[in-house]
Amino acid sequence: MTELPEIATVDDIKQQTTSEYLIRINKGYKHDPGQFFQISLFNIGEAPISICSYDKNYIEMSIRSVGNVTDKLNALQKGDTIGIRGPYGRGYPMHDFKDNNLILIGGGSGVAPLRGVIQYIEKHRDDYKDVHLFFGFREPKEMLFKEDIESYKEKFDVHLTVDHPDDHWKGNVGVITKLLEESRVSNENTIVFLCGPPIMMKFGLQTLEKMGFNRDQVYLSFERQMKCGEKKCGHCMMNGVYVCKEGPVFRYDEVEGLSEKW
Amino acid sequence: MRARLLSKHEFHRFLEKLKSQGTLVAPVKEDIVRFKEITDVSAITTEGHPLFPLKKYFSPQKRKIFTYENNNIEEVLPEKQYIMFGARLCDINALLRLDKLFLGDISDRYYQRARANNLIIGLHCEIPPNEMCFCESMGLSDSGYDLLFCDAGENFHIKVGSERGNALVQDLPESDFQPEPIKTEKKLHNTEIAAFFENDAWKKEVEKCLSCGACTTLCPTCLCFDVYDDPDVEMNKGARITEWDSCQYEDFTKVAGGHVFRQAREQRFRHRIFHKIQYYKDQFGEFMCTGCGRCIEGCPTKIDFVEILNGMKQ
Ligand SMILES: Cc1cc2nc3c(=O)[nH]c(=O)nc-3n(C[C@H](O)[C@H](O)[C@H](O)COP(=O)(O)OP(=O)(O)OC[C@H]3O[C@@H](n4cnc5c(N)ncnc54)[C@H](O)[C@@H]3O)c2cc1C
Ligand code: SF4
Ligand code: SF4
Ligand code: FES
Repeated sequence: MTELPEIATVDDIKQQTTSEYLIRINKGYKHDPGQFFQISLFNIGEAPISICSYDKNYIEMSIRSVGNVTDKLNALQKGDTIGIRGPYGRGYPMHDFKDNNLILIGGGSGVAPLRGVIQYIEKHRDDYKDVHLFFGFREPKEMLFKEDIESYKEKFDVHLTVDHPDDHWKGNVGVITKLLEESRVSNENTIVFLCGPPIMMKFGLQTLEKMGFNRDQVYLSFERQMKCGEKKCGHCMMNGVYVCKEGPVFRYDEVEGLSEKW
Repeated sequence: MRARLLSKHEFHRFLEKLKSQGTLVAPVKEDIVRFKEITDVSAITTEGHPLFPLKKYFSPQKRKIFTYENNNIEEVLPEKQYIMFGARLCDINALLRLDKLFLGDISDRYYQRARANNLIIGLHCEIPPNEMCFCESMGLSDSGYDLLFCDAGENFHIKVGSERGNALVQDLPESDFQPEPIKTEKKLHNTEIAAFFENDAWKKEVEKCLSCGACTTLCPTCLCFDVYDDPDVEMNKGARITEWDSCQYEDFTKVAGGHVFRQAREQRFRHRIFHKIQYYKDQFGEFMCTGCGRCIEGCPTKIDFVEILNGMKQ
């Protein structure tokens, strides 16, 4: 492997849900929305984590505790250090989408990279036309970026849903694809970002097809086991494609023929 | 550059000269033939094909990428300069294949360093050393070596592949010798395999696979790895390690949540074969497999991918 980790300081860490924390590092990295870093803790190990912000002065990452590295990352305190290498991969080609309407569809932790896209859009608002957000979470208490999403309601067309409501939930209930279909958003001059669990992307694609979207209007983001991020370790291969380098973001027609995509 | 002639009486003296210039690695007959670092040149054999390939010298099975102590990182790079004697054309080509992966757009510094001053003295196969060899089908290129030794009874004819190689033999008598292309009994007939992805034979023929990973360990062009930390007991220091991994293991593609992308063993087996015969070629225009036969020879259940592919019909 090639790139060595840099040492970075955790400048802020905030709890988002029972299992998710937002970590901020006050250092800017040139990157595209949708790219990721390899984040590590000495003695523990390394994990690929998406960038969920877009700012030249800092990066933020939303981390879900699911095991060895992520549990320990989420137990860090302000001032602790981490190893960071990257950014890696191919993100969203935002330049190519100029003058288009944008539809961002995110499920669960798939909302995190899309928040980076939104921050990019906010900084380049005149480049894009209508922006629609469709976010779905399993339960209201699993909702990420609550305050941000509140503020998006003033700027964009926002649709939220949960699978399992609690007593306080007054919004939509059910799968995100239903909301999407009901919204009747137009497919004219429109780019779709679809980011979430495989099952959600699969159903999302079916719905989009029904709504008349072409394959080259839809961008997906894939998760794989990624050990190196440098097209060397072989773990992330989807048929012959290295997801860590050629992805994790793909236009649907680029991967449609790959039998190992789901 | 003209070929040269070396009398076998002079062979050990020549090997001594090589040994004086770096760390000499060559085949030695033990329980099996192995590549080893040489202390005594008389132990070197020109018979047989080492079961374990050369890749370990360029990216060891367990390799420290860097050591850390508190927050200080120190990269670990190779110290030795290897001179390889006795590599067959399949193994030399295997290094050329790995070069494309490890010296590509993001070069691996360790591998790069180990390869940079590496001297390769090949050994031509007059007859294939192993009945599992099928390199004739794999389009090997006659390159990648500094010198190529060809056994001709009393003498070796030495084909020269580089200026550095030439410098080692320029005092020897010249020869007009040209080695014959290698002919192998075993052949891979179906080299266009895209249409074989969905084929019942995978499940049927690969049923007895143990997912043991012997094939990937033995393959000279398999170099996938895991990355993990190895802490010292005192926890203030340790090393980040890469260790050879295998796409034949179920957890190779496992992600958080437990999903495995290649759940069935025949999917994992097929992935390896497709990488060797199809995907790498799509990327670089040549096969990743060099036809060395090791993955067949070393498979505990004798699964033969060449026969499996040869038996497939469109
Ligand atoms: C491009 C990309 C972007 C990502 N972005 C984010 C993000 O923004 N936020 C976030 O929280 N996560 C993100 N992830 C997922 C994150 O990388 C994983 O959750 C993390 O690597 C898990 O590591 P861990 O050490 O915490 O868990 P581990 O202890 O390694 O494993 C947790 C679970 O994962 C499975 N698993 C993973 N690897 C293995 C293995 N080698 N062997 C066996 N089981 C294994 C097991 O089911 C295990 O229970 C992203 C992943 C990718 C590929
Ligand atoms: S093909 Fe043979 S060597 Fe490879 S994993 Fe299966 S049993 Fe092991
Ligand atoms: S796939 Fe088998 S025959 Fe081909 S190079 Fe690897 S070990 Fe040798
Ligand atoms: S993560 Fe190692 S090859 Fe893609």
